[in-house]
Amino acid sequence: MNQISNLFPKSWRNLHFIVLVFFSILLLFGGKNITEPASRLIISSFYYPFFKIKNFMVEMSAVAAENDLLREQLVSASTRIAELEEEARGTERLRSLLGVDPPAGYSLVPAKVISVTYDGALPVSAVINRGARDTVAVDQPVVNQSGLIGRITDVLGNFSVVQLLTDPANRVAARIAETREMGIVKYKTNEGLILDNFPVQGKIHEGDLIVSSGLGGVYVAGLTVGTVLEIIRPDDAQFCKIILDPAANFGSLEELFILRPVNK
Amino acid sequence: MTRYIPFVIYLLLIAMYEVIWRDFTVLYLIAINVPAMLVVIVAIYKSELTAAWFGFLAGMVLSAGNPGGMGWQALLLAAIGIAVFHLREKLNLESIYSKVLLIAGAVLLHNLMSILINDLNRILFLTWSYCLPSAVYTSLVAWLFFLFKEKKVTLENIKSVF
Repeated sequence: MNQISNLFPKSWRNLHFIVLVFFSILLLFGGKNITEPASRLIISSFYYPFFKIKNFMVEMSAVAAENDLLREQLVSASTRIAELEEEARGTERLRSLLGVDPPAGYSLVPAKVISVTYDGALPVSAVINRGARDTVAVDQPVVNQSGLIGRITDVLGNFSVVQLLTDPANRVAARIAETREMGIVKYKTNEGLILDNFPVQGKIHEGDLIVSSGLGGVYVAGLTVGTVLEIIRPDDAQFCKIILDPAANFGSLEELFILRPVNK
Repeated sequence: MTRYIPFVIYLLLIAMYEVIWRDFTVLYLIAINVPAMLVVIVAIYKSELTAAWFGFLAGMVLSAGNPGGMGWQALLLAAIGIAVFHLREKLNLESIYSKVLLIAGAVLLHNLMSILINDLNRILFLTWSYCLPSAVYTSLVAWLFFLFKEKKVTLENIKSVF
């Protein structure tokens, strides 16, 4: 081919131009019979791979946009689920509160915990949203659906301070629900809730229910304080050490009830 | 046969630009005229016949989506290839700016002729609003291309700036 072109360079060039013009005329005046097959051939060989790539890019872009939207919806749905779960927990708690019956001669004043004061791991006092305007008075016992919580120690117009069982300064005259033997419940920072002043020869077993005895005039008799967790009987001591499992969970105080005497 | 591979790649480049890159590079409806630019570059560095045939095929590839204008486009780009080759013979093309100017002229001519073929009524408006800006935009891209091709700017230069 090159030899021919070298022999007749001028003619070879002209021949090329003639062929080129011929093809151009063919494309110009050949009509659809010529141009459309050529167009199809070019599109399928040159354009098709890029159409595929562009289509993929468009799809990926749409997928990315959809992904963003779904992620946004997921966050929104997760937040809503968390809200609903919290509401469900609140409903469950309130439902359990419906079963709380006051002791005879007392009515229940519902209250919400506004704040708590800690001294170590557990709170020692709580501020509730009921006060003198709700006829709340000092030394009224405070309970929740699980059992005894503490007593009112300070009263303001709309607020009161509750001294919790977990305050080491608090004492509750208590007895074993089954055997009626008595002791004093108090909280020690290192040991937790304990039943003190209980003689070593007294009848007590692990799992026994401890209730308030009503002695002392502050706490009504029969309020659940806790259950016996562990009994330690030292050989050379008069009293045994009884560790209690508190009935109420002092780490999650929310809705409480003040026991108000009916005649007041 | 392998000597044709670069030209096939250039034709694929035209198709790729038209399908993928055009949308990303259009500025206020002004696009880069890649086919005309490539035809001029081929005409500057290759033979007359190569420029003519490459122009012819580039025109066919460019107008594949509009078969009615295929003949005109093929003829027009082939003519531009031949014309640029002959201008190159007569001009001093050592300077990058002369090459860029050649590209600007060729793109302007191609745009004008394309409009003349399709839409004669709005020729003045389109010349001002499309043909000239497109020629400037393409020349800018061509200038960057020549800076790299003739090693006026290298990756080392760019790295040394930072």
